[in-house]
Amino acid sequence: MRMTVLALSVVASAAAMTAHAADTIRIGVIQPLTGSVAYNGAADVNGSKIAVKERNAKGGVLGKQVELVVEDGECQPSKTVNAAEKLIQQDKVPVISGAFCSSATIAAMSVAAKYKVPLLSGVSSKSDLTERGNEWFFRSAETDGLLARAFAKILVDQLHLKKIAYIGVNDDWGRGGMNEFSKQIEAMGGETAMKLYFDHGTTDFYTMLTRVRAAKPDGVFVAAETQDGSILVKQMKEVNLQSKVFGVGSWATADFVKLAGDAAQGIHAAVPYAYTIDRPENKKFVAAYKTEYGELPGKYSAAGYNALNIIMDAIERAGSADPDKIRQAMAKTDYHGPNGSFKFDAKHQAYGFDAVLVRLNDGKPEIVAQATVTDDK
Amino acid sequence: MFDLFLQFVVNGLVNGTFYALSALGLTLIFGLMRLVNFAHGEFYMIGGLLGWVVTQKLSMDFFSGLVVVVAVMAAFGWLLDRYVIVRIRDKGPEPGILLTIGLAIFLTNTALMLVGTAPQKVLAPVPSTPLLLGPIIITEVRLFAIAVSIAAIVGARLLIQKTKLGKAMRATFQDATAASLVGINTASIYASTFALGSALAATSGMLLGSIYVAQASIGGLISLKAFVVVILGGMGNFAGAILGGLILGVAEALWGGYVQTGTVDMVGFALVILILFFRPYGLFSVRAERA
Repeated sequence: MRMTVLALSVVASAAAMTAHAADTIRIGVIQPLTGSVAYNGAADVNGSKIAVKERNAKGGVLGKQVELVVEDGECQPSKTVNAAEKLIQQDKVPVISGAFCSSATIAAMSVAAKYKVPLLSGVSSKSDLTERGNEWFFRSAETDGLLARAFAKILVDQLHLKKIAYIGVNDDWGRGGMNEFSKQIEAMGGETAMKLYFDHGTTDFYTMLTRVRAAKPDGVFVAAETQDGSILVKQMKEVNLQSKVFGVGSWATADFVKLAGDAAQGIHAAVPYAYTIDRPENKKFVAAYKTEYGELPGKYSAAGYNALNIIMDAIERAGSADPDKIRQAMAKTDYHGPNGSFKFDAKHQAYGFDAVLVRLNDGKPEIVAQATVTDDK
Repeated sequence: MFDLFLQFVVNGLVNGTFYALSALGLTLIFGLMRLVNFAHGEFYMIGGLLGWVVTQKLSMDFFSGLVVVVAVMAAFGWLLDRYVIVRIRDKGPEPGILLTIGLAIFLTNTALMLVGTAPQKVLAPVPSTPLLLGPIIITEVRLFAIAVSIAAIVGARLLIQKTKLGKAMRATFQDATAASLVGINTASIYASTFALGSALAATSGMLLGSIYVAQASIGGLISLKAFVVVILGGMGNFAGAILGGLILGVAEALWGGYVQTGTVDMVGFALVILILFFRPYGLFSVRAERA
């Protein structure tokens, strides 16, 4: 009798498992979950999970539940390639969201093209990613060039920044952001005092900041993520650097403020998303995020949320989880997210969404200026 | 111009002191036990995260917190040696390397699972307001950290040189058989040494966590820098580790100050390559060959 019950339950669970596999649509996600930007990668995954949870509660996509398969790319090209290979070969995902760092995304793009699986990045912002003619790659993030063009004039005219020192993380994203901003600001009549780089995970910036202080710039541009950036602005205050600070990266987040403390006061950030953006879609997203994780969403939480919604919309329109059909459907995206609407141009670069210049005041990102990221023409 | 140079040197010396402190546990365990501990950076990381727990979550003051962290990590090191490291003792270097690398991966991922990826802060007992010493800027918390570092370094040195336990440690590692013949409990000496090394790593983790941040995935970077320091000073050489740390700190500061900031991490490894070419046993090694 016992044996029969056991055998029955084994059969039942085996049946349940096959049914389970057939009833879900798997979507691959590659984000850094260890290493120095792990924290931001985790925020992206959290945002992605909210999008999937909302969609599953409404019955999923094409009548099936959506399942996320998350892999750690560590922000490194080699690990990201491994993760993409695993997702495509082993987990058989028809579409991937990722990766985070531009260098890693470039590596994943060639894997996506090799296996003909669409890859959507909601984060990587190095301008030339969408200039490579890779038809399997989409980007739902702002590029450094687009952000720089939107805000260079405001920075020079309204904040009176003439002589600027640039500090950036030493990778494709940091170097790209610095080049785009310095180009646009120089075109507006600004002057570049110096350009300095540091590596991910650096903890001591005194040497760099000593040099910056000696150059006496009006403003310091920083391209850094939460961890590196929070230590950097704290040390700016410690070495008594009086210049105005503005930057790109994960700045307008509650966690940045928590880590940087008083040093965060008055910092300007050009970001595509701040939880203070006044849109009904955003209020809903912020509320859902707060209930789920007990904290306010940041730039990357929104990026993950948007990326997954765009992917799931595309699968719905494609009518099946076939990579090539998803690719064609994704090109016709018209999605309204917490920070505006997203459409893709011919190079698969998204446009139409908001970009905001925020100023941190008492830990809250106040919106100073707002612009729409326009079609790159 | 000269002011700038002074500031670079001071920055370098401050960092160098921190490097020396964070490498001390590594060189101690190697020098006395001949065990290359690849999990050293992870012990540092645990020290930092425990520091965050005791100062922020349990709202203890820094020093009582430090006592708790040191006690916990010493106990952890002791148990680790008695139950894990003991199995690879006297089996040559490879099992030790594999074991500690495995331990490093295990500890990092356990920490990621328990506290997540978020960077955390250890509450410092002094503020980080800038102090002007002539043309040089330094913060109070850094001066405090240097004082604690020096105290920890001197304390460890005195423990090994002056106390009965220290004597027993040195005797055991010179000749374990002879040491046990004169009545030294060598198993407990090994465990004490490992406990001391772990406690030193945790002290530096907590102290530097109050200046920078404590984070689960930081161990690898710390280990790398600690290895540079230890190779510069000679594996197992106590004074060498301190000088090695200071040299690395100043070299990085001057390179970043006058050449290029993006390539400072290269400086340490370039030094290591040069050292391995010209003085393979470290800058300050007196003996050409080890026993």
